[in-house]
Amino acid sequence: MIHLQQVSKLYRTDRVETTALDNINLEIGKGEFISVMGPSGCGKSTLLNLMGLLDAPSSGSVALDGKAIDRYGDRALSRVRNERIGFIFQQFHLVPDLSVVDNVEIPLLYRRMSNKERRKAALAALDRVGLGSRTHHFPTQLSGGQQQRVAIARAIVGRPNILLADEPTGNLDSQMGDEIMGILEDLNQKEGTTIVMVTHDPRMADKTHRVVRLFDGRQVQ
Amino acid sequence: MTRHLLKLVWNRKRSNALMILEICVSFLVVFVVATMGLFLLDNYRVPLGFEWKDVWNVRMGVGRNEANAGDAAAQQATLARLFQEVRSLEPVEAAAGSFVVPFDQGGWEGSYRVKGRNVDTGVDRATVGFDKVMGLRLVAGRWFEEPDATQSWEPVVIDQDLARAVYGTADPVGKALFDPRPDERPFRVVGVVSDFRKGGELLPNDNFLFRFSSLDHPEGQAFRNLLIRVRPGTPPAFEEALVKRMQGVAPDWSFEVRPLPQVRATAFRFFLTPLIVAGTVAFFLLLMVGLGLIGVLWQNLLQRTREIGLRRAAGASRASVHRQVLLEQLVLTSLGVLIGTLLVIQVPILHLIGVLSSQVFTAGLLVAMAAMYLLSVLCALYPSSLAARVQPAEALRYE
Repeated sequence: MIHLQQVSKLYRTDRVETTALDNINLEIGKGEFISVMGPSGCGKSTLLNLMGLLDAPSSGSVALDGKAIDRYGDRALSRVRNERIGFIFQQFHLVPDLSVVDNVEIPLLYRRMSNKERRKAALAALDRVGLGSRTHHFPTQLSGGQQQRVAIARAIVGRPNILLADEPTGNLDSQMGDEIMGILEDLNQKEGTTIVMVTHDPRMADKTHRVVRLFDGRQVQ
Repeated sequence: MTRHLLKLVWNRKRSNALMILEICVSFLVVFVVATMGLFLLDNYRVPLGFEWKDVWNVRMGVGRNEANAGDAAAQQATLARLFQEVRSLEPVEAAAGSFVVPFDQGGWEGSYRVKGRNVDTGVDRATVGFDKVMGLRLVAGRWFEEPDATQSWEPVVIDQDLARAVYGTADPVGKALFDPRPDERPFRVVGVVSDFRKGGELLPNDNFLFRFSSLDHPEGQAFRNLLIRVRPGTPPAFEEALVKRMQGVAPDWSFEVRPLPQVRATAFRFFLTPLIVAGTVAFFLLLMVGLGLIGVLWQNLLQRTREIGLRRAAGASRASVHRQVLLEQLVLTSLGVLIGTLLVIQVPILHLIGVLSSQVFTAGLLVAMAAMYLLSVLCALYPSSLAARVQPAEALRYE
């Protein structure tokens, strides 16, 4: 489903050239739930950004369902992100001035659909993460776990078949982390969503099908 | 998307309040300046009712001896001689006396009663020949003739505005004008001219009334302005010759010649200078507001970098981000304009300014709206293009 071939990513400044990822080869199958582990600064988030088409590799290629996306323009990349990929972030990235349900609707704003359909899908996604009763609250009125659930609802509202989660439990206590993990497992098992999760927590990584380990930008396992 | 943006702007109303206020105040300033300009332009488009080119005005000061003696008959006799002398000059096509000078700021306003209601009108006293000098267009009846001075009633010529105000669609010629005053002969209309706009092109069209001033049968104070129509192409040097000839007739009188184009230019400066000053102030205000808006928008977008990154991750293209910033700015502008419009429409509702026509008012409103939307879009273009260029991966890491 996701295929990375000899992917490298370099960051250049005037004086320094930093290798964030070095010759990564990775194949992620449909319905897989994998975790990416490694010390801070080893390139985990960069890898996730490349898989999520938020960034382009310096060399190598990224393919989704066998189609290389190297030559996609901004509009095509945005459409793929919108229709096929959902993102979950450690800092939730909720818009503080929008209610829970309005936050969840954001990915659907970039699709052709009526307000009614959009609202219906957002409410269903919130029900799916157990937040059906908090739809008109604002993010600041919610706990960290609840905010991450909203972020998950936002990630799944467009029914993407790939979820990319960057330390989704990193800002939560263990109980809330378990709850979030439970939702992700449920999505993977019941809906066959492919999930790639960056984590520092071995306990969470153990619950996934496979662990990819990075060190200094290289894949070590 | 529109509903989403409205919610976003509404929920950020506190942080957006200053920007909305800025837009509202700018809208009001632009409205005032635009309405002033459109008011003058609207007036300018209406026919003037007289021809001012090749008309000179000679302002006459009565000689000390005659003035001290208070001898009206002597003054009148001098005036008659001056008339005769001026008319005999080759470049002079016609000459007439008048109390007020077209375009001049000074004037004579009268308020008369017609069947119990007040009618305000501009007034002048003019001699035989004034219609020729000023190129007036008679639409009914005739201009004054010397025998009119001996009638038991006072002949008057009115303009079409006054005719409509007093008689509606009826023919005014031969009819009495206004309710009679005890100390005056009753007015009777002998002629109607097309609208006469004594104040010039920039002032609104008002009622106007000409009363007769006779050289043979002086009544009241004598006129002090001699209006002369000269042949086209008469050189300015004729001014000196004219004064010399007049001085020859009345050595101790003073004469000041001012061609009407010159009087008109002074009137234009009088009305246009405040507009130019206000327009310049408004331009710099808009410039300041525009630069301020760019700064505030830029700052807002910097604060929202992660939100932009999130939207890009959720599927917004560069064009979508660009469009969203512009639309948000348009929503803010609409709120500022709406508040400004609510304030501005109090003017006609409360009858604060009577001279503004509804067309000028509406056009002023539309110009101000268009200016604010244009300003907003121009100011939002650069920040929105910067926002659209944000790399999503970098934006999501932005602290």
